[in-house]
Amino acid sequence: MKFGTTVTMAWRAIRAHKLRSTLTTLGVVIGVAAVLTFVILGASLQAGVIGDVSPDDRENVYGWAAPPDTNGGPGAGAQPVFTPRDLAAVENESAVEAAYGFQPVPTQTLSARNETVPRGSGVYATGPAYVDAEDVAEGRQFRPGEREAVLNPAAAALFEPNLTVGDEIEIQVPVVGSVNATVVGITADSESRSPFEGFNPSPRVYLPTDPYVTDVTQADRTRFSLVVFEATSQGEVETARDQALAYLNSSESDASGFGEEDLEFRLRTSLELLDQFQELFDVLQNFVVGVAGISLLVGSIGIANIMLVSVTERTREIGIMKAVGAQRRDILQLFIVEAMILGVVGAILGLALGLAAGFGAAELVGLEEFVIPWQWGAIAVVVGIAVGVLAGLYPAYNASKTDPIDALRYE
Amino acid sequence: MDEPPEDVAVALVDARKTYQLGEPVHALDGVTIDVPRGSYTAVMGPSGSGKSTLMNLVGCLDTPTDGRVFVDGEDVGAMSDRERTRLRGEEVGFVFQTFNLMPRLTAVENVALPLVFQGVSREERHERAADILGRVGLGDRLEHAPNELSGGQRQRVAIARALVNDPAILLADEPTGNLDSETGANILDLFDELKAEGNTLVMVTHERDVAERADRIVHLLDGTVERVESVADQVGRQHEAQAGEEHDDAQTGEDGGEGA
Repeated sequence: MKFGTTVTMAWRAIRAHKLRSTLTTLGVVIGVAAVLTFVILGASLQAGVIGDVSPDDRENVYGWAAPPDTNGGPGAGAQPVFTPRDLAAVENESAVEAAYGFQPVPTQTLSARNETVPRGSGVYATGPAYVDAEDVAEGRQFRPGEREAVLNPAAAALFEPNLTVGDEIEIQVPVVGSVNATVVGITADSESRSPFEGFNPSPRVYLPTDPYVTDVTQADRTRFSLVVFEATSQGEVETARDQALAYLNSSESDASGFGEEDLEFRLRTSLELLDQFQELFDVLQNFVVGVAGISLLVGSIGIANIMLVSVTERTREIGIMKAVGAQRRDILQLFIVEAMILGVVGAILGLALGLAAGFGAAELVGLEEFVIPWQWGAIAVVVGIAVGVLAGLYPAYNASKTDPIDALRYE
Repeated sequence: MDEPPEDVAVALVDARKTYQLGEPVHALDGVTIDVPRGSYTAVMGPSGSGKSTLMNLVGCLDTPTDGRVFVDGEDVGAMSDRERTRLRGEEVGFVFQTFNLMPRLTAVENVALPLVFQGVSREERHERAADILGRVGLGDRLEHAPNELSGGQRQRVAIARALVNDPAILLADEPTGNLDSETGANILDLFDELKAEGNTLVMVTHERDVAERADRIVHLLDGTVERVESVADQVGRQHEAQAGEEHDDAQTGEDGGEGA
């Protein structure tokens, strides 16, 4: 029996029971769609987070001090303990290229060219190296001690027309009043530049800690809760972290002697932070794929069940086919192909549904990046088809060993 | 035991079929029959006489427990399931009381079904099936589904299907059992035509007047050939004499087949 004919006959058998076949495929559709939706969502989320860890970010160590039992992401429970003197001392360590604080500046509004937009977050005072020179698409990095700002494109786009290098901006800071800055650079993209900023692209303004932090606090009382140490090279990042930690834990550092509270210094390389996220995503993904796997299992039981019913129902037809010369192999092939078609159709519909649902979910969550992990799509489809074949094996085997004499007598 | 001569389509040589149903039941208890090519044989007998078992053996659906069954010169009992299925597909055409058409296939597809399992191409299948349907008078019903056809038309489709492989033997099991007398008569007329064209027919029936359309009637009783009755008509005395010999062999039940 030719394979094409088998497919035609199997397809007709499926079409003869449209509702039944539809319901049967539904299990596989849902299974495959569920896998795909969540995997797309996960991958898009992951891309949003991890995509931000650019190679030059890999020489960075992010530090904060928190009570030892604090759990959470980067900066959780951070206490303001690091003084400029500490930063200068860490910067003197051999493996450390730069050490600077990272201070979110509380703001109310952003103004430029007589235009004012409300802006409650996204203004950070930090070291010049925080925004790498090669990331500045237009203009240059800000200089410490100068009233200068680097904007990302999203921040520049808050004004109409876009802010450009040379524009003056005015930042309204609660209590302190307004501070001014000259835009000296626009970054290439609006991505988050470190784990301290969060994960999503959004308008951000970067200012030097000096003078802007000293504007907010008194210079001699300046204490940073978040710090960034940059290693001299990617290979030195562990050494830099160890050297910084050794210094901070020593009695020399201001941070170690601060307050009564026993704080733990948490210095994480961006790769370590990445690993944490990766683990979280992996756990999430395994869970979701597990749930979807159960759905596929249920789907396969559905296919097996319906195929068994179908074999019983068509006992007489099987008898006829055998009487007119159908070999066991022909019958086996016919029923396996039928189950396989259910699996394939289910997998393809599931793929389409999963893509749509994944895209919709990513849109709904507000992820800007939409990543389709095709290898997972392929796995889901292959599993969907395999489910069809496996579920069809036993019923098809049953059908193939039907005795034509009994089958022809079967009513 | 030697193979039967060329001009014999089907030969049973002391064929026995025993079922183990607690106690052994001898469904066929030493049957020896020759069915010459081009002959028309009717098989009669009460329920349980072994008609169905005989049909199953001749139709290569089953193998004898003992003795031998030759279809188109090939020993069915010595074959694997696979070979038997092939022989059945190529050399046996079945016509059933209940027609046994595939409900979802059109008339022409039903007729083409045996060719499907022989890997014949789609075009050739259609061509041959349409041709045979034309011969049984259904040339204008090619694309009709079985449920759109009358009983007589369905049986014609089934007969066309049985003929499509140009089989050595056409095996009909109560072909008129589900038809009214007029339609049944039409089908029997068709059988006469098929016989005239040189086809070999074996028909199981319990109706005397139907059986009399054949050249000879084999009467089965309790798994043995009770007698072979020759229907006196144009077929000639030759078969009658032969059938008589067989009859004697079957009766003695010993060393059957010598007379063949």
